Amino acid sequence: MSKEEYQAGDLVFAILVLIIGLALIVSIPFETKWFDGIPLVKQPRLWPTFCIVGMTFFAVPYIIQVWRNYKVQLGQVQGELNELSSWLRPLEYVFYFVLYVWSVPLMGYLLSTLLFFLLLTIRAGYRSFLMFWVSLVTGFGIVVVFKSLLQVKISSGAIYDYFPDGLATFFMIYF
Amino acid sequence: MDLILSSLEIFLRWDVWAAILVGSIGGVIIGAIPGVGPAVAIAILLPATYSMDPLIGITMLLGIYGSAMYGGAIPAILINIPGTPVNALTTYDGYSMTKDNKARRAVTLAYWSSFTGGIVSIIALVFMTSLIAKVAPLFGSRDILMAALLGLVLVVISHRKQTLIAGLLVFFGMFIGTIGMESVKYTKRFTFDQSWLLSGFDLITVLLGLFAVSQAFILLIGNDERAIMPSLKGKKNEGLFDLIKYKTVALISASMGVIMGIIPGVGEFLAQFFSYNIAKSISDKPERFGKGAPEGIIAAEAANNAVPAAAMIPLLALGIPGEALTAMMLSVFYVHNIIPGPDLFVKHIDFVYGLYASLFLINVIVMIFLLFATKYLLKIIQIPQRFLGVTILGLSFVGVYTLRNSMIDCIVCAVFGIFGYILKRLDLPIVPIILGMVLGNIMEVKFRASQARIDTFFDYINRPISGTIFAIIVVALMIHFWSIWRQKRK
Repeated sequence: MSKEEYQAGDLVFAILVLIIGLALIVSIPFETKWFDGIPLVKQPRLWPTFCIVGMTFFAVPYIIQVWRNYKVQLGQVQGELNELSSWLRPLEYVFYFVLYVWSVPLMGYLLSTLLFFLLLTIRAGYRSFLMFWVSLVTGFGIVVVFKSLLQVKISSGAIYDYFPDGLATFFMIYF
Repeated sequence: MDLILSSLEIFLRWDVWAAILVGSIGGVIIGAIPGVGPAVAIAILLPATYSMDPLIGITMLLGIYGSAMYGGAIPAILINIPGTPVNALTTYDGYSMTKDNKARRAVTLAYWSSFTGGIVSIIALVFMTSLIAKVAPLFGSRDILMAALLGLVLVVISHRKQTLIAGLLVFFGMFIGTIGMESVKYTKRFTFDQSWLLSGFDLITVLLGLFAVSQAFILLIGNDERAIMPSLKGKKNEGLFDLIKYKTVALISASMGVIMGIIPGVGEFLAQFFSYNIAKSISDKPERFGKGAPEGIIAAEAANNAVPAAAMIPLLALGIPGEALTAMMLSVFYVHNIIPGPDLFVKHIDFVYGLYASLFLINVIVMIFLLFATKYLLKIIQIPQRFLGVTILGLSFVGVYTLRNSMIDCIVCAVFGIFGYILKRLDLPIVPIILGMVLGNIMEVKFRASQARIDTFFDYINRPISGTIFAIIVVALMIHFWSIWRQKRK
């Protein structure tokens, strides 16, 4: 993975990192404490300052290196914009993921997972019944392995309260 | 002897065998599917192992770690797509052999080479951990501080041509590790008055975001590419004959893998690079390399498969992870209150012996499985990529949500997922962040602990061990800068 050649997005990334580094340097006095009478090496401020300064120390030559490579392709703004827009594309899936997390305590792990797998499979472009079944079986399998067998800690769904007593307990423990 | 026998008693337990089987066979399958890889699988499974017996949890994860590269060689050889990133070098000669209708020979050669690498490194693990464990009690705070620093320096300079960004990301990882309430003066650091930041970023949340969720995004946004599998013709033992013929290459490459595995921050890529070049330099027909040389496959596979067990040496003996996967395993040790380091060999020696035996069994089981099940694995490799993305995202939920049933953890994980996605798109490394986070924490603790004996900087390096490690750091940096200078002169 050589980074000798410029890749669209490199410069924006380098600038962002430098800005974040500088912003963190400015915020050091507000976000860390300094105790009078305690030597520097024992100050809680020392270690984060060391990390942020180190980050910025590397960020400066990095941005110079990226800029040197960038000059070769100066003017190719469209490529940069395309790359930046592609950085935003996962936000759609983040939304689905957060929706899934939000739905689990309400609908229960099993139902949420089946819906998540089915809808995301459709969103991913699959339209065959075979893939729908595969997605449902995969989702069900994951729930069985992790919740029913390994008993990982996942809150039970509020929906289970409306189930008959025996069934509700069963679903709360295993699904 | 009694101790060894008593530690082997654990293999009378069905759950230990289940962990070995699930880990080893699961690891092969995960490795064989391009786009998943052991890091994703281990990150997802980590929280699930917290509720298990430590040996079972670690064994399962070790199974995945140690066997994924066996599986990763299959798509590398058959369809020119490495199953895991470290199988990339195998494509050079492996795929060339497939094009010459020698697919079966190449695949079995990769298996036997991996097996050789695995066994050699387990032998090294057994002998070297006990050796290092004798020296390890001599390690004080300053020595461990220097060892962690060595790991960070090596992880930066091993990213050749990406040194600046690797350094930046190491410090970024170290900074992430400082966020939250610090444990000496109990003051808040970079919490921005947010209560959810008081406990800092959980390593698992960051790991899952950077490795698993980012990979899910890559797969979901990318296209499905269905590869056509070539048929496997030939006899199962062809590869074994090749390995016997080139046994010197196999042993040199496995040894190189062991050496590189032990050194923190270096890992599989450099091990393969060196062993491939050595194999080429001692070959009668170096011109065949890259065009279907069996020695090329041996060098790549024996070296990369020797790394996992070797990487356990600094982890078990000193508590210092050498790369991302051992850093993940360190968290499992801590959860079960088993602290890797010199004390491990005193307090939990039966656990250590059990681990050695498990590693050996993992390699044997994987080898038997692969010799008989390769044709079935070919079907698994063809899982559509975008559906794989759906599955990884669903599994990532389990990994992160089970930590604290927290929506905030999931959002943090998703944000790190986007960050990892951007890094992957830009071909920038992720491992320095993880090692920075883990080793940075170790460094801060040891830095503070050593202050009682420090008056000047030279007090850090006036002990034999810390002085030696410091000398290694200086030499490594000198070699690095010298090679850059030499390259620029050309």
